[in-house]
Amino acid sequence: MASLISCPHCGTRPKEEFTVKGDASISRPTADAGEEDWYDYVYLRGNPKGLHKEYWHHSSGCRRWLIVERDTVTHKVHGVSDAALAKLGGGA
Amino acid sequence: MPDLPIYRPALAGKAALGGETIRLEALPEGHLLHVMGAATTEEIKAHLLGTGLKASSVRPAGYRQWFVAGNDRLSAMHLRALTEALAGRAFISDQSHGRIRIRVSGLNAAQVLNKGTAVDLHPSAFPEGSTAMTLFGHISMQLTRTGADDFELTVLRSFAESLHEELEALAVAHGAEHLAS
Ligand SMILES: [Zn+2]
Repeated sequence: MASLISCPHCGTRPKEEFTVKGDASISRPTADAGEEDWYDYVYLRGNPKGLHKEYWHHSSGCRRWLIVERDTVTHKVHGVSDAALAKLGGGA
Repeated sequence: MPDLPIYRPALAGKAALGGETIRLEALPEGHLLHVMGAATTEEIKAHLLGTGLKASSVRPAGYRQWFVAGNDRLSAMHLRALTEALAGRAFISDQSHGRIRIRVSGLNAAQVLNKGTAVDLHPSAFPEGSTAMTLFGHISMQLTRTGADDFELTVLRSFAESLHEELEALAVAHGAEHLAS
């Protein structure tokens, strides 16, 4: 796993300061979606080889939720953005 | 702190430690304000001057968050003045009772601190005035460089003793001794 993460707010920090919060590419089904969609959303996760987007919480730093794009094979980090700001369309 | 019957400083009874190259001391429990909002560091600094809080310093604590710290107890009047000055821009949560500051200084200060934090403390990466929310071992803290060989650690009150004990051991390893208080 990547050992250094460049937080857009705090700069480069060791991974120990962060908590990995899982796949950032899945989206919540609509309230009236079927059982299968919900089962999928709640329980099923891919184990991708290569590029992967994940939520990382900077729990021992600025406490912001980040989206880290990393390669599960090379451990290279391709980009880190603030999750909330990305959702609002702004940069960090 | 009207809800607490007895006021006792968290690190009361801890003598300062000093040696040739390292010094460790608990700072007075003055004031520590958590500021949150869409303000800027410069704006908060200007309001501190405007409300007569010249001795307070502003430290960024993450996205749209700051800590304002100083050695003096803050009067209700000052706090109200600052709250009003920042109205519409930022909110203040008075954490003076909740967080403790510890000072680590001396030629070996950075070396001692790097036993517990992974932040790059080289002056080129972390010059005077820099601040970081980070860990010391497993304890969350805010680290600020207040001088070339001068650092302040801000820690949650209930972790203050534990952090202080760790720092004590490190300071002693660098030749520091307890100073008579
Ligand atoms: Zn951060």
